Amino acid sequence: MRALAWSAGASALLVAVYLALGGASYAPASVADPCAPRDWSEPRGVNEVGEQIVLSALDGAACRIGVSREDIVLAFEDQDSLEAFGREHGVTEAELERLARTGLERAVTDAENAGALSPRLANLIRGVVGRIPPGLLIGLLDRVPDLVFPDS
Amino acid sequence: MEITVRPHVLLLGLTVGVALADSSVVTLALPRILADYDVAIGTLAWVLTSYNLGLALTAVPAAFVARRRPSMVFGVSIVVFSAASLACAFAPSIWVLIGARAVQGMAGAGVVCAALDLLSQATGGDAPAARVWALSGIIGAAFGPAAGGILTQLLGWQSIFLVQAPVMGIALLALRGATAVPVEEPAGRPHVAANLALLLVSGALVASSFLLVILLINGWRLQPLEAGLVVTLMPLAAIVGARTGGRITPLSARAASGAILIAGGSAALGWLPHAGARWTIAPQIAIGTGLGLALSALTERALAGRSAQAVHGGWTIAARHAGIVLGLVLLTPLFTADLERNEDDALSAGAAVVLESEIPPLQKIGVARDILVAVEKAQEDAMVPDVSDSIDHQDDNAYRELASDLQKQLNRAVTNAFSRSFLVAAALGLLALAPIFVGRRDVTV
Repeated sequence: MRALAWSAGASALLVAVYLALGGASYAPASVADPCAPRDWSEPRGVNEVGEQIVLSALDGAACRIGVSREDIVLAFEDQDSLEAFGREHGVTEAELERLARTGLERAVTDAENAGALSPRLANLIRGVVGRIPPGLLIGLLDRVPDLVFPDS
Repeated sequence: MEITVRPHVLLLGLTVGVALADSSVVTLALPRILADYDVAIGTLAWVLTSYNLGLALTAVPAAFVARRRPSMVFGVSIVVFSAASLACAFAPSIWVLIGARAVQGMAGAGVVCAALDLLSQATGGDAPAARVWALSGIIGAAFGPAAGGILTQLLGWQSIFLVQAPVMGIALLALRGATAVPVEEPAGRPHVAANLALLLVSGALVASSFLLVILLINGWRLQPLEAGLVVTLMPLAAIVGARTGGRITPLSARAASGAILIAGGSAALGWLPHAGARWTIAPQIAIGTGLGLALSALTERALAGRSAQAVHGGWTIAARHAGIVLGLVLLTPLFTADLERNEDDALSAGAAVVLESEIPPLQKIGVARDILVAVEKAQEDAMVPDVSDSIDHQDDNAYRELASDLQKQLNRAVTNAFSRSFLVAAALGLLALAPIFVGRRDVTV
């Protein structure tokens, strides 16, 4: 019976140590809730302001659809991914673009409230948002600085 | 009782070891076989399942024939096993490979069961024969993955089968001067509790014998040779367990201690706190020691007091390999489903890492796309990619940090994908305690 006690003790100790070191939670990090407000970091330069706006826009669209903003980024990998995403979440490409515009408007308001954009600039961007051509939302990350600051 | 190690005994032990090693020998070669035949993981699993199924279904009938004509069964089985090994090596399609593996398994059953009778003659008694037979089986089953990995890395997966044919052929020399006497008395009933416990323990061992090596190679990107060396710990611990466990009495206590260690080690693998081979060391030692204790005790218990050893040996082989099939059938779909789920989680987590990284904003989309391409390319080889290969500007701290963070997320995802399978294996190990304790009052033990 001593052998039984030893093996049970050794097994329990091994499992306890692994659990104490975080074994039960060693999984991919969960992504943030897009509906919860995010802190605006202090952007440095045109590109970072543009990036924050797009990320916030993605949050807005993701919150409406009920997915994470990372899911939307991955959906825009190519046309097949976009169609699969639309089928899975019952969203047409046109609806997705409309949501992206709504999200972008929310992002501009967030940026304005956070003091990252002046009211004048915010109004300028809102005007631009209405004229953004259909296409890839993710492409905005490349385009926003040029759209917002055409002379930069 | 000391067993005189004679060439006959060594050769017979070798054949038992090779035949039982074959149930797991191709585990480390599976990624290469997958790449060569380009099939789904569910189909690939049949390379393992068909061998074990063949062995499980044929062991008892083969044992009944072997007890009357052991030399003939041994000789024919060796020839068929060698021929099937060559067919595996040169298989033009996955289905030929799977079919040849099933034939190998059936022939392996004949080899293992007939060898037990021949060992009784070679060692001069049933008890020493049972010990040599059980130890050979433990060494073979435990060293199988490591041997397969080393051969795969050095010479290709086909070499596993090419090596087996001549090795088994040499074992025919064991028949020279063999004086096996046909057993006439009735075989009697098998020890149900011991065989049921063997089935459950073997099912539990599927996770550490098969899934662990897949985690090491496909998940953590170790080379087959490295993975083979890492999993050598388990057989070493098994040999120590089997050799030193003889002092533990009664047999039920030894078997139960082994089952508990297998369950504990499997649970620890299910709750790994980090990715990396070093975290598998302690669980492997626990599982290996448990394997040595449980298999030796349960085999001895199944054979003890039974007159026709080959038949009861056949029952233990059938139980062990039915357990492996049960483990594969239970764990393969669970593992593949978890792998798919974690793949989605890993992609989301990876996208979050890229979006929140410190690299220049305008580079993020390009980097994210490069990573996705790398992941898709690696998926074709059923591997987790090395992210640093896909990220340029490695001289920049921000990019290095991004690569490191992405790799961490992938490691977390792939390690977590194996978690539930290891925990189910732990549960099977604990379940084995029921027949061990229920059957401990068997008066013949």
